[in-house]
Order: sequence, then structure tokens, then C-alpha cells
Amino acid sequence: MRTHVFFGGKGGVGKTTVSSAYALKCARTGIDTLIVSTDPAHSISDVFDQNFTDEPAAVERVDNLDAMEIDPEAETERHLMETKRALSDQVSPAMVNEVDRQIEMAHQTPGAYEAALMDRFIDVMRNSDEYDRIVFDTSPTGGTLRLLSLPDMLEGWIDRLVYKREQSIDLYERAAIGNEEPRRIMDGDPILDRLTTRKERFEFAGETLRTNAAFFLVANPDELSIRETQRAIDELQSYDLEVRGLAVNRLTPEPDPNENGRGARFLRDRVATERERLNELHENIDPPVVAEIQTRVSEVKGTILDTVAEELSIDVDQVSPDTVSSG
Amino acid sequence: MSLSTTIERYRAELRHWLRGLYHGLITHPAYEKVEKEAEDTEDTFMLACFPEAFGIPSPVSYYTAELLPYLEDEFDAWERRMWNRGSLLERKGQQYHF
Repeated sequence: MRTHVFFGGKGGVGKTTVSSAYALKCARTGIDTLIVSTDPAHSISDVFDQNFTDEPAAVERVDNLDAMEIDPEAETERHLMETKRALSDQVSPAMVNEVDRQIEMAHQTPGAYEAALMDRFIDVMRNSDEYDRIVFDTSPTGGTLRLLSLPDMLEGWIDRLVYKREQSIDLYERAAIGNEEPRRIMDGDPILDRLTTRKERFEFAGETLRTNAAFFLVANPDELSIRETQRAIDELQSYDLEVRGLAVNRLTPEPDPNENGRGARFLRDRVATERERLNELHENIDPPVVAEIQTRVSEVKGTILDTVAEELSIDVDQVSPDTVSSG
Repeated sequence: MSLSTTIERYRAELRHWLRGLYHGLITHPAYEKVEKEAEDTEDTFMLACFPEAFGIPSPVSYYTAELLPYLEDEFDAWERRMWNRGSLLERKGQQYHF
């Protein structure tokens, strides 16, 4: 049983709609579900007309469903404060200013936002025993792919740091003549300790993504979206992450055959184009199309979300290749 | 004082001097070399941890920042060595005590 289900795709294709609908579907069948937004432009709050924060909160009027929106800025701030507290405990006042500058600098680098997001993301995956299903509403493709590739990359970095640190401590221990105390000692070294803890967290994240996560891509029936989908599938595959299915959103409804006005003719042409694109998806792209969702008259929220949920043929109980029926 | 005790005393003195010479000429420089190597490796480690001190962005600086409170001695020594070092040749040549 795959616990973590990810929905990704190009910006504006309807990731929030599809992931919310899927989360709702899970919750309606009685599965304890958490929906998590990792997109900095959070919109789960808009779908459920309720303000969500960085902590999971129950969605009103829906049983078994909690929601949260990850806030990397708050996490960066918390990490900064924690490090500074350790600093004033550990370091002599003469050095504090020097080190302080370095710490501030590290929290303003472009990577800090991603790292904080990654940290929260791992926290959510680790501390989610009370949920049977966690649905991730991710940020547009580029950002998410980068996020998913982070565990492996960071693991490599940390490995290198650990190796260098061990090497230098080892030399220090050898350089201690006779009964002299070595300048650094391998046993209980706080640096190695911290690096190893970090490494274990990244390993956990990488392992969870590979073995207990399912990925779905949301696409619209247009060329740009389809191309981006293909690219995303390829890239996910290069991280050993398999895409389970595609959800096609924003399909144009067909007019009745007896209608022949300007609007009806436009819709008919539009539907024909979309059908072509849809065929392309069915034929050229490997993962099955698991949902074909029509454009709604108004924003997808409230009861409309339920109707969208019904159109999803993504299996709720078990998300594995053999049980996903194609739609 | 018998001759043998005098000889014994001279021999002890000589052993003491020889050990000192051996330590000063061989042992100490060798250990010093190992320690220098340890420092150099540590410098590489510090550079890998905090390259943005030299304006090079690092993907892990957010994580290495949390090591800083425990790297006080290393950080201080690192900065000192970075400032003091004229050239790699100078650093490597220091062991010959010209």
C-alpha cells in the first residue's frame, strides 16, 4: 500500500483541483487522509474555503480529512533561531559575531528556501503515522522535480563532508605525540554526529519516495502541457520514480448534436482538437490516463469537488500499477 | 666515585641528548607534518562546508550552518590560516624551518 501520493504538472493545469478531489475521495471512503501543499502559491485554502497553516488541521464538513500548507519561510526562521541558540550556548563571546555573520549568510542563500521546504517535507513523511494516505499538491514541475532530486544530491554532499572530517580527525589523532590529547577526537564528534543524522533523514526520504510513493501527473489537452508531461516522466524516471498515471483536466464539453450556433461550432472544433491531443496521450505516453475531467462552469470547490472526485478512476485503497484502472 | 659510575653517568647524559636530538630532528618534524596535513584536510572540509565565505554558493550551506556552533576552534583556526598563507609553497615549506 503506497501511503504518499503526489500530483504534479505544469503551472495552472489543475494540480490542486485533482489532488483535492483525490484526497476527498480517499476521505469519503473512510481512509484517514492528509493533504499537503508544497507549492509556495498555496491554494488548498481556496478550494476548501478555509485557512490552513503549517500544522495539519481538520477540514470542516469533511470527515477523515486534514490539510496543511508547508511554510518554508517559517521553517527557515525556526532553523536560524535554533542555530543561534546553540551558538550562544557553545561559542565564546569573542567568536560569536564572526560565526553569526556566517550563519545569517547561509539562511539567505537561494538554497535555503528549498532546504527548509525539504526539511518540512521529510518531517511530514516521518511523522504521519496517524494518516493512512498523504496526498501532496506539489509546485509546478520544475520546482518539484528539483525537490525530489534533492535527497540523492544532498546525500552525496554529506557523504563527502563526512569523509573529509573523518580524514582530518584521523590525522589529528595520529599527530598526538605520546600521551598528548589529540586536537580532535573521532569518538562523539558533534560534527560527524550531526552530519550522520542529516544523512539518515535524506536516506529515509529517498527510500520513501522510491518505495512508498506514487506519482501522478496532471495535464491539459494542449501541446505545451503534453510536452512538459513527457519531459517530467523522463526526468522522474531518471530518479527511479515511476509515474502511475495521467489525469487530464479542463476538457471542453461537447455541445448537443442539434445545436449549430457560433458557440456550438467553436466547442465542436475545440473538442476535436482536444480529442487529437488526448489520443496522443493515450498512444505515445506510457502511463495510463486515469482521469478525464471536464471544464466546470465555476471554480472547483464545495459540491463540484465531489463530482470531480467521482470522475477520478485512481484507485483509493491501493495505488499500485495492477489496480489502477485506466479511464 | 668509581670510574664505572662516572662512565654510567656520561652514558645516561649521552642517551638523554641523543633522545632529544632524535625527537627534535626526526620524531617531532614527522608529527608536525602529520598535523599540518590534518590542518590542510580540515581546511578542505571547512571550504566544502562554507564556500560562500569566498562567494561560492553551496547547496548545503543551510545544513552546514547548523554545524557552526560546534566548529568554533576550527573556524577560528581556518580563518587564521587562510589569512596567513602566502602561498602553497610557503605552507608546504614550513616544515624545513629555514
